[in-house]
Amino acid sequence: MSNEVAAIIVISVFVIGATIIGMIPGLRKTLSLEEWAVGGRSFGRTLNWFILAGEIYTAFAFLGASGWAYARGGPTFYILGYCTLAYVVGFYVLPKISPIGRRHGLVTQPDFVEHLYESRSLGILTACVGVAFMLPYLQLQLTGLGIIIETCTYGAVTRTQAMLIAFTLVATFVYLSGLKGVATTAVVKDIVMILAVGFFGLYLPYHFFGGVGNMFEALDAAKPGFLALPGGTKNLDVSWVMSTLVLTSLGFYMWPHLTANSFSAKDPDVLRHNAVYLPFYQICMLFPMLVGFTALLVITPALKVPDMSFMTIVQTVFPGWVLGMVGGAGALACMIPAADLLLSTSMLFTRNILRPAVGRDLAPGTQAQIARVVVLLLTATALALAIYAPSMLVNLLLTGYSGVTQFFPMIVLGLFWKRATKIAAFCGLLVGEAIVFYLILAKLDPLAIWGLNLNAGFVALAVNMAVFVAVSLLTSTDATVSRKVRAIEG
Amino acid sequence: MVKIVLTLIPFIWIIGCVPFINQVKPLVLGLPLLAFWPVAGIPVTFICLYLLYGIVQKEEHDDKEAGGTK
Repeated sequence: MSNEVAAIIVISVFVIGATIIGMIPGLRKTLSLEEWAVGGRSFGRTLNWFILAGEIYTAFAFLGASGWAYARGGPTFYILGYCTLAYVVGFYVLPKISPIGRRHGLVTQPDFVEHLYESRSLGILTACVGVAFMLPYLQLQLTGLGIIIETCTYGAVTRTQAMLIAFTLVATFVYLSGLKGVATTAVVKDIVMILAVGFFGLYLPYHFFGGVGNMFEALDAAKPGFLALPGGTKNLDVSWVMSTLVLTSLGFYMWPHLTANSFSAKDPDVLRHNAVYLPFYQICMLFPMLVGFTALLVITPALKVPDMSFMTIVQTVFPGWVLGMVGGAGALACMIPAADLLLSTSMLFTRNILRPAVGRDLAPGTQAQIARVVVLLLTATALALAIYAPSMLVNLLLTGYSGVTQFFPMIVLGLFWKRATKIAAFCGLLVGEAIVFYLILAKLDPLAIWGLNLNAGFVALAVNMAVFVAVSLLTSTDATVSRKVRAIEG
Repeated sequence: MVKIVLTLIPFIWIIGCVPFINQVKPLVLGLPLLAFWPVAGIPVTFICLYLLYGIVQKEEHDDKEAGGTK
């Protein structure tokens, strides 16, 4: 059997198998909207751990981290630190959010913001921003999937065709099964992916250089300074890494789908307990980087698309069926987070933008129906972005982070600081997002200021935070404080 | 106070130390120093969170006891 055929067969088994497993919960019975979106709030420790972990190890970890290692060197190591810190933030924030969600029947992040500030318009604004910045994240998953299938078929299926096929499958299982479908497939995907990434991360440096240390010695000799900051870039220096770490660790749980997932936990202790053990998962981020660095030394001629380094080196060294297995695991790592993102984004749109816009309560059945149609529309939008505005995977992720982290003052200070007010939330969010849009569109990311190179999202967050605190102090009254206490504790 | 210190340690380790570890050599466990440092931050963070978890659980337990005797 030729390599092409073997790779295609193996990858098809993975993708179709996962789709079937994902569809089972939806076929067995009809799901209510609450079951579809937050799994009936019944997930225990293990299932919740897998959902949270599964979110993180996406196409970005698999292909993006190796791609950045290949192209940028040292700055990539920021990826080793940020999730660890994000779990510390999550340890405090999630157990506070989850019981409020449960008591008041909240399903989405804008629901939560609306409840916290008793403001429907703030909820709508949050939803719009959330949808806008989840699109690059969805695009990231799509692009990753395209890269994988393109390499696995040795170019026989083009990127665009590949993305079309795979996303039809994702949309199908989200449409039928919602979050339960995501959770069951996440378990399978995580196990396969950890094994695959760990194996290649350790084996490939060993195969070519006799060990990880030897590989780094060779790379340091061939390209002195590439493994420190700013590595293969001009401006991703120490200040960039520090500001990016602050942005991404604070912003991690500001992703609308991650807030929504905390509503699916049975009780706050589940979330706290998971936060303690999740940092260990972060070690898996190291392995794809090892692959990227090895690829940089051994693949000639140099790759035009650095994000393809992982798949290309596997294709060079191993037979087709191995490539198929890696591709299969990688495809799942794109499809499952994509499914989760689609689900959350469609909920944001239906519940928090469309419903208030229509101006009356829709029947729960109609709402669930619309949410499912929106899934298809969002897929199409992300697909169009992936085809017409391609970008490197890590850059897509950082754009999304810059946007969603602007929720941090409003949500976290809003939870812990009783003087936070609605007007301050509006002002901070609008100022923060305006700066993000301006800096990114004007290509001023990172922003060179006072001899530092700061991540644009970090600059926006700093201004946002200052505005939020100042306006809160100016506008808070005894009445707003007591309403706030009721929103948090009542 | 203990809680604040335990919360800050991971941030100081992973973010605060970056200016001092921006070098390739020495390789530690085969990794460049810049990469080894955040990896070492994982067990450090685990220990901090583990201790914090114990403290928070004890607090909640005490709260419940106090609530019960009222």
